[in-house]
Amino acid sequence: MPKVRLTINRETISLNVSPTKLLIDLIREDLGLTGTKKACGHGDCGACTVLMDGKPVNSCLVLAVEAQGKEITTIEGVGQNGELHPLQKAFIELGAIQCGYCTPGMILVGKALLDQNRDPSEEDIKKAVEGNICRCTGYYKIIKAILSVAKGKT
Amino acid sequence: MKSRGMPQVEALKKATGESVYTEDIRFPNLLIGKILRSPYSHARVLKVDTSKAKKLPGVKAVLSGEDVPPFPWGPAVDDEFILAKGKVRYIGDEVAAVAAVDEETAVKALSLIDVQYEELEGIFDPEVALKAQASRIHEKGNLVTSYHFTRGSIDEGFKKSSIILEDVFEVPRAHQAYLQPHCAIAQIDIQGRINIWATTQMPFVFGSRIAKALGIPEDQIRVIQNTIGGGFGGKNMVPSLYLIAILLAKKTGKPVRIQNTREEEFFSGRVRCPAKIWLKMGIAADGTILAKETKIIMDCGAYASNGPAIMITTSMRADNVYRIKNLKTQADLVYTNQVPVGSFRGLGNPQMAFALESMIDMLALAIGKDPLEVRLKNATREGDTTVHGWEILSCSFSDTLEGAAEESGWEQKRKNKVPFRGIGMACAIQPSGNRFARDDDSSSAYLKMSPSGNLMLMTGEGDIGQGAYLTFRKIVAKEMGIPPERIQVLPVDTDISPRGLGAFASRVTVIGGNAVLAAAKDLKKQILTAASRIFNLSLEHLEYKEGKVFSLAQPVRQFTIEEITQKASALPDGPPLLGRGFYNPPSSKVDPNTKYGNIAVSYSFATHVAEVEIDPDTGTIKILGYWAYHDSGNIIDMIGAEGQVEGGIIQGLGTTLSEQLIIERGKPLNPNFRDYPLLTAPDIPPLRMRFIENEDPRGPYGAKGLGEPVLVPCAPAVANAIYDAIGIRIKKIPILPEDIFFRIRKSKEIR
Repeated sequence: MPKVRLTINRETISLNVSPTKLLIDLIREDLGLTGTKKACGHGDCGACTVLMDGKPVNSCLVLAVEAQGKEITTIEGVGQNGELHPLQKAFIELGAIQCGYCTPGMILVGKALLDQNRDPSEEDIKKAVEGNICRCTGYYKIIKAILSVAKGKT
Repeated sequence: MKSRGMPQVEALKKATGESVYTEDIRFPNLLIGKILRSPYSHARVLKVDTSKAKKLPGVKAVLSGEDVPPFPWGPAVDDEFILAKGKVRYIGDEVAAVAAVDEETAVKALSLIDVQYEELEGIFDPEVALKAQASRIHEKGNLVTSYHFTRGSIDEGFKKSSIILEDVFEVPRAHQAYLQPHCAIAQIDIQGRINIWATTQMPFVFGSRIAKALGIPEDQIRVIQNTIGGGFGGKNMVPSLYLIAILLAKKTGKPVRIQNTREEEFFSGRVRCPAKIWLKMGIAADGTILAKETKIIMDCGAYASNGPAIMITTSMRADNVYRIKNLKTQADLVYTNQVPVGSFRGLGNPQMAFALESMIDMLALAIGKDPLEVRLKNATREGDTTVHGWEILSCSFSDTLEGAAEESGWEQKRKNKVPFRGIGMACAIQPSGNRFARDDDSSSAYLKMSPSGNLMLMTGEGDIGQGAYLTFRKIVAKEMGIPPERIQVLPVDTDISPRGLGAFASRVTVIGGNAVLAAAKDLKKQILTAASRIFNLSLEHLEYKEGKVFSLAQPVRQFTIEEITQKASALPDGPPLLGRGFYNPPSSKVDPNTKYGNIAVSYSFATHVAEVEIDPDTGTIKILGYWAYHDSGNIIDMIGAEGQVEGGIIQGLGTTLSEQLIIERGKPLNPNFRDYPLLTAPDIPPLRMRFIENEDPRGPYGAKGLGEPVLVPCAPAVANAIYDAIGIRIKKIPILPEDIFFRIRKSKEIR
């Protein structure tokens, strides 16, 4: 089995993985980071989004071996030093979370957007989360939460 | 109470990935279960050979029809076997199952199971299913059940009508599309009791149904509800995967997990029940609606599931929105060889609301009146007992109509037409809870005091993402006069939690909330009694206020609840401070013959207005604006309430504009999120909402239910707006651009 070395949530690890293993299974099963959700298995819903070198990817479509040498961020690694990320705070305070299944993906996509564009418009945000399905909130409060962080309100 | 809500404690866990959903639980020696499903819509099962699969290394158990209980079961009609015996009735029907050390082995084992089928003629149209020569899906025939009633005299009503219209409306299968697929983990403990971790909206009812399906006493089952990734009614039933997981765990002696893939969700979920509705209605020249005659045919697919309750809801609920005295309804629930049905936000109400609210616009326009005026003239009002015996104690329905019309600019937009733009409205009623199908609609709660003076709330209701626990926490906080942060809500565990029916029928806030409120009141009483004994003070001199007990005797003294709790546990005979609350709504079960009765403790109302613009070259429908006015009594948590409205409307617009399960000869053709198009962020329209608050006399702090009416008016509001825009009447949802395009083209040809 190939050995993969990657950084996950700022910690570098190396482990042997089967060449057919998906990144989501490495994250959920081998590393026990169950915050990453699998809702469709085909890259259609975005629930399994993680950041790979800062860019959002559907971890159900990425092979674990493709993460070789990459820096992966999951929802567990978004906050730092015991502090919530501003997006996490905004999602909680503005009611952008209902069942929570899409939340990790939404927050990670939001983070990738804000890391790249400090002043996105509402349209930019809608476009950024277009690949992420939320069945509970109708997206209104999710967009509002991301926008509020961009505007420095939360 | 009127504050802008406050963050859910649950939300903190969800935002950090800490929440534990069923599939996140880790067990040593966990086996993975997989289900072999029928590739045929209707076939005899001649032979299931599992011998090769059993020999595959890593396979721990293989089950087929001969391994499951010999009797059929179902929530309403006993017509399902846990694994097929003799016959399969839809593509996706469960035939065999395996448990293996990992998923790969389990999937491989499925391919080694050899099933011989003899294909039978499939039936996919419920009207064909009812024909005498149709092949029988179940032995007793294809009609599951019929339902009919009359109120007043439709003959009289039609005689007095100046306009009578009739038409046919259709609503197809749609999927609830909750993001978390169904997941079961079953484990049998050393006593032989079943522990099941389940994605269910109603843990106690779920446990009863499992007991029924397996033919064992209910106390042999412990149901644990974890964080739930959405339900919308789709997690009200007990799909076979739960029962299969239990049987596999029994057979192997190890915990077994089965989780549906997304495809399995579409193939074997319990989807919205499709309906074909023939509607004939009469209206007087002054706008009074005088008669409604309805024939409904509903297709529950291969098994009855909760189809009977859905059909009754389609038949009756919308009748209570208006004061229509003369009714006659005939409804048939029919088997076909297609995926079975279940609840979906509003139960059977969206189906009929689409037909009725479209017809009301048609009638209004036929007599030359504004649809708003006709609705206002006929609207159910406070103090009414409706045609079906529903007692309306609080009602701001007319205010929702007037408010939505005013804010949306209704009058001006209806009069001053802009080409290809239109505005439409539709309304809904929703009972808080529903007793029509059961004797029990009660709820219980325990409120336990910890030594620190913090409270642990136990309820049987459960939070499925809608924010029930926050609502409960706010109710307790208000009653006890302490901050909500001091209250924890424990997840439902049927071994520990007091009984409650669960999250359905928009009942949790009102029925669960009243039980929680009663528990808080009981706890306050106990705190006072304990204080009286501890400090040797007469009870009548003691007063509870904001987490403290005051002695009004001289000298005036005060004690905190922490102090009282700690001292109470040192009293020779305690007792432990545990508030107990119970609420059984003063509603009545319907009369079995007349179906008449007050089914719920309170009723919510809604008016939605949609403004659309049609692109005549492409048929594309753009929602320019959407206004939602709701009467759900007093709102306990404003942010949560807004979330219900926003999410419900986007679901409703999804089922109006794009969502349908496309089934070709029994086979779902779009069983994934790429081909089953849900709305995403760029699709959402500008939305304005308002709650017309009123103090319902029976709700906890005047609250009424909200979860379901948010979706019900969407389709007819849009359909009515489309008619206003282009003069084309929509009679079938979803309303696809190509349909609009061809209708426009056809109408041009006719001209």
